[in-house]
Amino acid sequence: MRLYRKEGNIIEILSFPNESVEKGDYLLIEDGEAQKALIAQVIDVQFANIPGVLEELLRSLPDGGGIIQGEDVDPLEIAPHITYIQDSRLLICKIRATLEGEHLSPSTSWLPSRSQSSVKKLPIPMLLKLARVNGNLPITLGVTKENSLLTIDATSLDGRLNIITGKKETGKSHLSKLLITSLLQYKAVVIVLDLNGEYTGLGFTSDGKRNAYFNRIHVLTPSQNFKVALKQLHLNVILNILIHALHLPGTSTREFRRIWQFLKDKGCLTLHELGEAIRNWNCNQNVRDALFSRYYALVNSGFFTDNVAEANLLEECLFKAREEGGAVIINLRNTSPIDRQIVVEYLLGKLVELLTSWRLKAVFLFAEEAHLYLRETYWDDIVTRMRHFGIFTTFITNQPDTIRESIYRQADNIFLFNFTNEHDLEVVSRAARVDAETVKSIARDLPPHHCLVLGKVVRDFPIVVKVRAIDVKTMGETRLFFTGVQAESMNQTSPVSLYSVEENS
Amino acid sequence: MVIEQYTITTTPKYNFPQNTIDTSLPQRFIELSLYSLKHVQNQAIQIKQQIQQNPFNNQETLVASQFTPPTQAIPLNPKPEPPTTIAAVDTSSIKLGETNKGIIIAIRGTTVWKQAKNYAYLRVGPFIFHITEDNLQEVYNTLLKAYFPEQSHQLSPGFIQIPTRMANLLEKWLQASLVKTISNGIILFDGSLTAGTADTPTQQLKEILAAARSMGNTVLAFTKVTTLRFNGCLITEAFPAYKPPCLIEVANIKPKPPLTLLGEVYVAKLARGNYAFRLDVDRELPAQKRIEAVERLLGNDLIMQGYPETLRLAHILCTFTANEVIAMQHFIQQRYRLKIIDRPDMHRLLFGPFGKGESHHEAI
Repeated sequence: MRLYRKEGNIIEILSFPNESVEKGDYLLIEDGEAQKALIAQVIDVQFANIPGVLEELLRSLPDGGGIIQGEDVDPLEIAPHITYIQDSRLLICKIRATLEGEHLSPSTSWLPSRSQSSVKKLPIPMLLKLARVNGNLPITLGVTKENSLLTIDATSLDGRLNIITGKKETGKSHLSKLLITSLLQYKAVVIVLDLNGEYTGLGFTSDGKRNAYFNRIHVLTPSQNFKVALKQLHLNVILNILIHALHLPGTSTREFRRIWQFLKDKGCLTLHELGEAIRNWNCNQNVRDALFSRYYALVNSGFFTDNVAEANLLEECLFKAREEGGAVIINLRNTSPIDRQIVVEYLLGKLVELLTSWRLKAVFLFAEEAHLYLRETYWDDIVTRMRHFGIFTTFITNQPDTIRESIYRQADNIFLFNFTNEHDLEVVSRAARVDAETVKSIARDLPPHHCLVLGKVVRDFPIVVKVRAIDVKTMGETRLFFTGVQAESMNQTSPVSLYSVEENS
Repeated sequence: MVIEQYTITTTPKYNFPQNTIDTSLPQRFIELSLYSLKHVQNQAIQIKQQIQQNPFNNQETLVASQFTPPTQAIPLNPKPEPPTTIAAVDTSSIKLGETNKGIIIAIRGTTVWKQAKNYAYLRVGPFIFHITEDNLQEVYNTLLKAYFPEQSHQLSPGFIQIPTRMANLLEKWLQASLVKTISNGIILFDGSLTAGTADTPTQQLKEILAAARSMGNTVLAFTKVTTLRFNGCLITEAFPAYKPPCLIEVANIKPKPPLTLLGEVYVAKLARGNYAFRLDVDRELPAQKRIEAVERLLGNDLIMQGYPETLRLAHILCTFTANEVIAMQHFIQQRYRLKIIDRPDMHRLLFGPFGKGESHHEAI
């Protein structure tokens, strides 16, 4: 390999056919005299622009367009040299860092010698060692292209904002399950907003047996084993639900505040009493109607109860998780969109309450397709306010444009699976921790279950990893219509003609 | 508009119509190539800054004199029957660089033939030679003796002519092999059938034509650029009124000795679009046979822009592309450990954009 050209932070390397280099590989460009080296990552592989190649290809085509058959008597065996030159490639690389001795620096202000530099592949394990991508709390994500393990440090997820994104069926949920179970090993408190009931089987192996995490997985299904008593609610939490989930207008909110305060002072905060209070409250009829419609929405959600005994499970699960680590799976599978918003509003309010009072230290929140239940104002909250409370969010989505740009800009880690759509790649490439070219070039060619890891977990050295398998029960499989139908259809005779149908009828 | 698509099929080596084939490779070419390169090891080589290729161009050496104006054009009717094999030969040479003792050149030749609807080719080379003052005469005359033993000892060419002359030698060998291999075919040469020049001795060309006739072949030689004039006009531009396809006979050309015309000269207008070429046809053949040969060519080959596709392919396939030049330079650098030096081009250095570059050699 030879250093060919540098423009900005893009460096072009001439590579020959006997050198196997692919997208995503790292190269070390060493300048012996300067005693420094550049670390560059291959983001694209092109054919080198060899003069005469076009003529070479064209001249073998007659007017018909096929290839003329012939024989070459090549006594000096020049042909291998021709193909060697023809197949030479240009590696488009992004400069990632400068290596001086054992010290890495992000500086790219120097230029190695074109004639004297040596270029060689930098093995991923060596890169990880140089970048010190390791720690006391290892999480093995999978294997790199060189079949070496990619192990990140759990602390690089701590206090961070993460995004897992990619198109359908590329392995996003699988990776989030891997991260959740790995965090559980280090006694972390994890909350999963499970939109499709995919995480409810985390406590079981693929063959349905209980696994090591069984006792630390708590599945809560709203209106079943996850209910809330009005007595437990803070006024601001119920107001958030009414305003953001049920869109209660300002005037009505003021009246509700009075009703709530009145019932609280009386010590009878129950659903029945709340309904009666609204009915008998001295207020404008329109306000009463507005309050009644919201009241019935709360009642019909089934999420609220007057029985305090059945309303303590969330706190119990969280406190249990606090002691030995655990994951609380909020199963939103059969919950309507409005009820989802009610549940999430309550949950986040409750979490903030527990965290501000230091009854919980911190939680890792995994949110699948958060745009379906997270209100607008929460996006900014998550990247600013929430992390100060100790809520460290990981968003999982296959629609990258549903996550605000500010989230991408602030994201600390991005786990990027395959995307082929240009628009999707454009959205993801706005992430501050990586350049657009890398995202667009590498993510487009990722095979299923391979992910491009970006951000602090890999010390800003983008690395492609094949996510390792984990033995948990998969619950997010697509239900198929034609499963088992094929065998039956083989036994079917061909459809009868219209004529015979009429005859039969 | 329907474009005729030709089916290209696999052609085994030497898939000529006949079974009796001259398959001997130009052994001496290989031997001399290796021998000359052996003496170049570990030397410095200056890669030519402006690679100039010489597709062996049989320059028309005929000096035009008065000839009888043509009376009328001979109209041509394409004759696809009987199916006729069309074959063509071309060679090219190139200077790859200079050493401190001489020059390194490469030559290559191609034979293309078309039978039914299939084109096939045999490409010989590239042969790379290191030519020095010391071995120039030896190399050239050894090759001459090896392939044309009946040829008298010739004065070897100078440095400037050697690539072209070596290519010419290979071309003549390919032509001689081809005319003995094919029967009842049309054989296309690049250039004219003018003999008596340094690179085309009369006897040599006569023998090739005689061998062709003995096998029932007809040799047609196409000249791309002619200097022959009629009424001050180039003969290829002098007859715009004649409708193609047709031949216009250019009779009574009197070449200056020692030049001899071994072909009857025509202006060939084989396709629409004002494309005309000087065409020489073996003059030992009867006039009717000559015209019939052109008609068989029209009926059995693609004629694009008035030029036979077989001959065009021969030219294209033997020409060196820039990629091949780099590959050959890579080969001699790897195999013979040549150290490339980059001497400045004095013309460019002194005259900048007004310099004519390396191609403007001094003629010694």
